[in-house]
Amino acid sequence: MSDNIIIKGVNKSYGKKQVLFDIDLTIEKGMFGLLGRNGAGKTTLMKTLAALHKKNSGEITVCGVPIENAAEIRAMTGYLPQEFSMYPSMRTDEVLCYLGTLSGIPSRECKKRVTSLLRRVDLIEHRHKKIKELSGGMKRRLGIAQAILHDPKVLIVDEPTAGLDPEERIRFRNLMCELAEDRIVLLSTHIVGDIEATCEQIAIMDSGKILWRGTVSELLKEAEGHIYTVNVAKRFLPQIKKEYIVTGMLAQNEYITVRIVSDAEPDLPNPVQTAPDLEGAYMYCLRSRGCDVCGGDE
Amino acid sequence: MLFLKECKKVIFSLTFWIYCLIVVLDFTSQYYPDCRKAASPPYDGYKLSEDHGRIMEGAVKSLAEGYLANRYICYPLGFYKAVKLNEKERGQIEECLEELTGLSAAEISALDESAEKYGVYDGLHEYTGYTIESIPLSDTLTYERFTELMGKVDDTLGGGSDFKPDDLVFHFSKETLTKEEALKEYADFTDKDRITGALARLFSDYAGITLGILPVFVAAALTAADRKRRMTELVYSRRISSFRLIFTRFAALTVTMFVPVLLTMAAALIQAVRIYGGSNISYAAMFTVPSFWLIPNIMEAAAAGMLLTELISGGAAILVQFVLWFIPLLKDSGMLWGNISRFTLICRHNSLFYREQFITHMGAFVFSRIFYILISLILVLLTVLVYELKRGGRFNGVRLFGESGILRRKA
Amino acid sequence: MVFGCLVRAAYSDAKHNYLIHYLLAVAVVLSIPMLFGVNDLDAKAAAQPLELMMPFTGIILMTPVFMPEQDENIRDTVRAKKMSYELVCLMRLLMAAAVMLALTGTFVLFMKYCGSDVSFRHFCGAAVSAAAVGSIGFFTAAVSDNTIVGYMAAVIYYVMNFLLKSRLGMFYVFSMSSGSFSEKKWLLLIAVLLSAAGLIGRRYRTNMM
Repeated sequence: MSDNIIIKGVNKSYGKKQVLFDIDLTIEKGMFGLLGRNGAGKTTLMKTLAALHKKNSGEITVCGVPIENAAEIRAMTGYLPQEFSMYPSMRTDEVLCYLGTLSGIPSRECKKRVTSLLRRVDLIEHRHKKIKELSGGMKRRLGIAQAILHDPKVLIVDEPTAGLDPEERIRFRNLMCELAEDRIVLLSTHIVGDIEATCEQIAIMDSGKILWRGTVSELLKEAEGHIYTVNVAKRFLPQIKKEYIVTGMLAQNEYITVRIVSDAEPDLPNPVQTAPDLEGAYMYCLRSRGCDVCGGDE
Repeated sequence: MLFLKECKKVIFSLTFWIYCLIVVLDFTSQYYPDCRKAASPPYDGYKLSEDHGRIMEGAVKSLAEGYLANRYICYPLGFYKAVKLNEKERGQIEECLEELTGLSAAEISALDESAEKYGVYDGLHEYTGYTIESIPLSDTLTYERFTELMGKVDDTLGGGSDFKPDDLVFHFSKETLTKEEALKEYADFTDKDRITGALARLFSDYAGITLGILPVFVAAALTAADRKRRMTELVYSRRISSFRLIFTRFAALTVTMFVPVLLTMAAALIQAVRIYGGSNISYAAMFTVPSFWLIPNIMEAAAAGMLLTELISGGAAILVQFVLWFIPLLKDSGMLWGNISRFTLICRHNSLFYREQFITHMGAFVFSRIFYILISLILVLLTVLVYELKRGGRFNGVRLFGESGILRRKA
Repeated sequence: MVFGCLVRAAYSDAKHNYLIHYLLAVAVVLSIPMLFGVNDLDAKAAAQPLELMMPFTGIILMTPVFMPEQDENIRDTVRAKKMSYELVCLMRLLMAAAVMLALTGTFVLFMKYCGSDVSFRHFCGAAVSAAAVGSIGFFTAAVSDNTIVGYMAAVIYYVMNFLLKSRLGMFYVFSMSSGSFSEKKWLLLIAVLLSAAGLIGRRYRTNMM
């Protein structure tokens, strides 16, 4: 049995509004990042892969199983939705046991797994706490624990780092990388940093289409020669922001070092070509494919 | 085990505890005080003779009295309604009376003179009431034709009158029991019913009312919990089949809700033993009949609650079950025993006696119980279907009047 | 300015969250003439359809006041806005009361037109009964954070009125049908107290969560 996800010509619409257009994608074992702005269609694609949404046309097979076979798909995928919660008055370990039972894990086995998983996501000392007493980060980690409870071949996590503090985010990424060693982990995010730290393979989505597909280094390579840094007086900043995509700034006294994305050499004093970072490369990718990007105006 | 986990969820819900409280209160305030003392023969009881002559005579006399006063008392929903007819409708009644009595229109009007008159004041108008000594019946009148005409009369009056064909026996053939009959009823109570058989019917009568509505709240709350707690997607994405999940939840609801009822049955049995002594009564009867009587009620309300909550909302489930429960209850409020038909949801037998009446309706009773068990299973199957469709993103809830319409229920 | 805001919020709220409840309440009132006679009733008999049916409008309109924000995310979003959440709820409650009064008033006038002996007393009595039953639902839903529990309490209270009748004393909502009006002032007090307690309880509860 193959261990990849093959998506061919998938279209999906909600009523009259089409949200996915001819998606073609192959996802191999390991960590796969789906990058895109809010509303790009990432969540819809992920829900479709988790057999929670019906596609209108096209073909999807997950590890050789067609997506129409929802029962089998559900048995081998773990899904962490972007927004979720749990019965607030249940205890942490109780909720996991409950969801484990729904996954068909025998109860003795389930208890063992819950303990080891809670240890793994560092919630073991909170196992008797009620869900309503957990912090946002703890709930996220519990979310991951429930998604891998039945040891799925495919793990689908939707915007998992939203709302986490930097320390928790790092822990989370490390956990993801560990999990990706022996399964497919599909991670969607609009935070470039998450992808940079974890994924080798990525795809960029915008307006329901796959804009770009490849490895991180290929993306960086594509942007080579299009990222510049300039050192300008602070007062020019608003004008620069208007004309270029600004992906980074570093202020020093009244000067400021600005990182910009530009097709040609910018018409600014002493621009220096620099090695692209992923954020810049992502912006370049969006821009070079005709997306309306306004960098810097944050 | 999933079943136990679902039971635990039910047990830890607030609606379930309110349910238990009401089941217990219902028991202690209705059944328990009714059965505090040992029963005595029903000397003031009545029976329905079902004597056709008696029924026809009584009904026609009552109709003629109403006709003369042009004032008929109806209870369309168990509530008093005084009906006054216009000329045309009055003519229809007159035609019926002519056929029923074989008298001419003039002769009917002439009854006015021989009838005893009395004044009635209902707070708004003053009426003249009439009491007729006796009225002849047409020689050619058969009972079938009589019920047909009475159906017509009831329609003219707008329904809910004493003349409704199904209720004629009840309204016009009541007779008080003779001493012998009362003693026979009592003998049935002690010998045939072995006391608890009769107590069990009274118990079920009271409990059935509560169980016709309350389970819908518990079921709706359990079904709505996933959505309310934003847990649906976590549950949807699990391996378990919708069929197993929904049926397990249904079984958990039925079983947990039956437990407090079972406890009140045990309490009723203890009370019976204390009053009548342990050797005269049947222990099993206190459990068998009420279980068979009441479980279908729990099942039906729970299944309807699950389906409608999944399909629309908890509020809709409550509304529908309330209407199903309330309206027949009001309509039947006059006949508290011997009135079970094949589709009766809430069976009544508000008496310790009249075993015979119950036995004659036994077929209908058994039919209705099995019917509602099957109905609830069908409702649960439909719930599985709705759940499966929602789970696969193929159904996103009911929308009334368009996309942003007034009734939206996002799955 | 604040008033204008409130009116717009009320309109949008009524349209998106509450229209179905308003329509249901209207349906209940429209069903009365089908279930009960309303022609030529004396004062006592005329109270019956009013007292029996109007409480349903109370349950339908007052219980789900908190329902749109039962999802904690939505609640937090609404609570973070300048307009206080309690004010939104109060507004909904007042709208519910206004619709209830309008429906009761219209129906009383309709009964008068049909020749029944109804008076201003009937209007007050029916409206107070509706508010009392509704406020039970409102209060319970507020403190339990569960609309279904609210419906449950209101329905149980209503049915208790059927079974226990005047044994409920000052809590008896069908008193006018048996010729007594003195219960109404107590019911009004209960309605007001429970509504206020519901709003306050809600504030306390949501702060706690």
